[in-house]
Amino acid sequence: MGSIKLENIAKSFGDTEVIPPLNLSIDEGEFVVFVGPSGCGKSTLLRLIAGLENATAGKVIIDGEDVTNVTPSKRGLAMVFQSYALYPHMTVRKNIAFPLRMSGMEPAEIDKRVEAASTSLNLNDYLERKPGQLSGGQRQRVAIGRAIVRDPSAFLFDEPLSNLDAALRVGMRLEISEMHKQMGTTMIYVTHDQVEAMTMADKIVVLQSGVIEQVGSPLELYKSPCNVFVAGFIGSPKMNLLSGEVAAKYNAHTIGIRPEHLSISDTAGEWEGVVGVSEHLGSDTFVHVHFDGSNEPLTVRAGGDLELEYGTKVFLTPDMKKLHRFDESGRAIR
Amino acid sequence: MADRKLSRLMQAPAVILLLTWMLVPLCITLFFSFIRYVLASSIRPEWTSPSIENWRGFGNYLFVWNNDGFWLAVYNSIFIVTSIIVLTVVLGLAIAILVNRTFPGQGIVRVMLISPFFVMPAVNAVLWINMILDPVLGLQGIAVGGLNEVVATLQDAPLVGWFFSLWPELIPISFRASQTSAIAVILMVTWQWTPFAVLIFMTSLQSEDQQQKEAAILDGAGKWSMFRFLTLPHLARPVSIVVMIQAIFHLSLYAEIEIVSRGNGNKNLPYLIGEMATNNIGAASATGIFAVILANVLAVFLLRMISKSLME
Repeated sequence: MGSIKLENIAKSFGDTEVIPPLNLSIDEGEFVVFVGPSGCGKSTLLRLIAGLENATAGKVIIDGEDVTNVTPSKRGLAMVFQSYALYPHMTVRKNIAFPLRMSGMEPAEIDKRVEAASTSLNLNDYLERKPGQLSGGQRQRVAIGRAIVRDPSAFLFDEPLSNLDAALRVGMRLEISEMHKQMGTTMIYVTHDQVEAMTMADKIVVLQSGVIEQVGSPLELYKSPCNVFVAGFIGSPKMNLLSGEVAAKYNAHTIGIRPEHLSISDTAGEWEGVVGVSEHLGSDTFVHVHFDGSNEPLTVRAGGDLELEYGTKVFLTPDMKKLHRFDESGRAIR
Repeated sequence: MADRKLSRLMQAPAVILLLTWMLVPLCITLFFSFIRYVLASSIRPEWTSPSIENWRGFGNYLFVWNNDGFWLAVYNSIFIVTSIIVLTVVLGLAIAILVNRTFPGQGIVRVMLISPFFVMPAVNAVLWINMILDPVLGLQGIAVGGLNEVVATLQDAPLVGWFFSLWPELIPISFRASQTSAIAVILMVTWQWTPFAVLIFMTSLQSEDQQQKEAAILDGAGKWSMFRFLTLPHLARPVSIVVMIQAIFHLSLYAEIEIVSRGNGNKNLPYLIGEMATNNIGAASATGIFAVILANVLAVFLLRMISKSLME
């Protein structure tokens, strides 16, 4: 239960094509993250799977069954919204019970399931409160609880953590990952935050203007991005991208090198530059080096103890084995 | 501290003005309700000036309490106000939900919907009682006459004539009669105030959270469940606002009552007060105090009912 397949699915709003025909298959039990800049169509894609939007063309297949024209509630999917979308005048208990009540389940069975869900989410103390009396993290849990009780074949998350503060976000991220490991249910997670994508996903789908740029495991995308967009989008701090004369030396239109694959030296090296701002994180230092061959300063990841004066002259050497080369159209040269 | 004193001082005129505005009339009414005070009396000329020497205690209240007209007016006030409120809320909800969708020409439709609210109450009453409800010259009379004529011609028709000859002749209803004039008032005020309810409900419908609705769709809620469990609770507050404001306004209906039947068999409290105030100011004041009490009781009762039934 829980494999999802998109076949030539397309969506247009009027004359504007948001998603050109697209194919994607999601295996049972996978944690798939749709990631991309805002407006790239990742939420629309999720809504197409949920059935909240009608596809202009193509098919949605869940567990081998064509559900393109099936109503959202009959698709067996549960969704967690960015704004939580809790029912404000109902208590937490009633919120969680709502989908069961709508399906006409026995009250005794409903109570049992709500009890089980609230125990697993640590919500027992809040069952009689209303959403307005809960904190952001608790509301998020209630929204997840409302999804869990339905025992869906897949969970859909639409940027569920973007309304939480940074500390809480890290915690909830772990909880959702933990939940996935325990239940083994398929999950599709939409986010614009590549850190969330890297840390949670089994499989990342990188989208740009409705087109899938690359699909793969987090490390696959990190180690071998198939084009300049993915190279620049995945990884933090961003990969350094250089073009022009510098790149031509390496027989490429654009070259990319991750901050950790640049070694810094004050005596000799490939590229000569001037130290700009250094960011000390304790474990690492990110040094921004101004270099004539690049409009933007290069980011170098160095050891936490490195201290360089602003304006010092340094030399950088890229690790040739880890250098990414791209042609004029932005595709990787392998 | 000096700053605070100064700001209090600066506020004082406004506060005093408002308090005076409210308290003085109330106090004068209370005073009048406890004394004998008439506008003209040849037998007891001393009662024609308000004075503490004409103290009557609760006499005025007892006089009003034991007056049949008073209880009819109380009953009529409640009947008219609650009928109008129920009708406007139900109609207002239905129309607001209907108009809330997007359709061609919705701007014009919305403006037209609001327009009855701009008609003066007296004009509204004149229009309705003469042009629409009049049993002879109004739309009602024309419609009933037309129907009777159609039935009469059908009675002469072959084959089906016998069936139509069983039909009685329709008689138009006179809305100026004492049994029906309250209904005429309810009809015209409902027509005028439904737009107000529509306006309030429509703005509130537009603020409904769309993601909540989508969540409900995924949770398997149908159209009716979404209305019952999401839209109605969302509208609980606007509904109570509409009820509250209308209760205040319609307890003091006067123009419509005057124009429809000159109060014949259809007096409400304000009309009764008006009639009494032509001479007996003491009794009119006592009735006024009763009206204040009734308005408060009614408001509290209505609000309790709404918050209970809509908020679950």
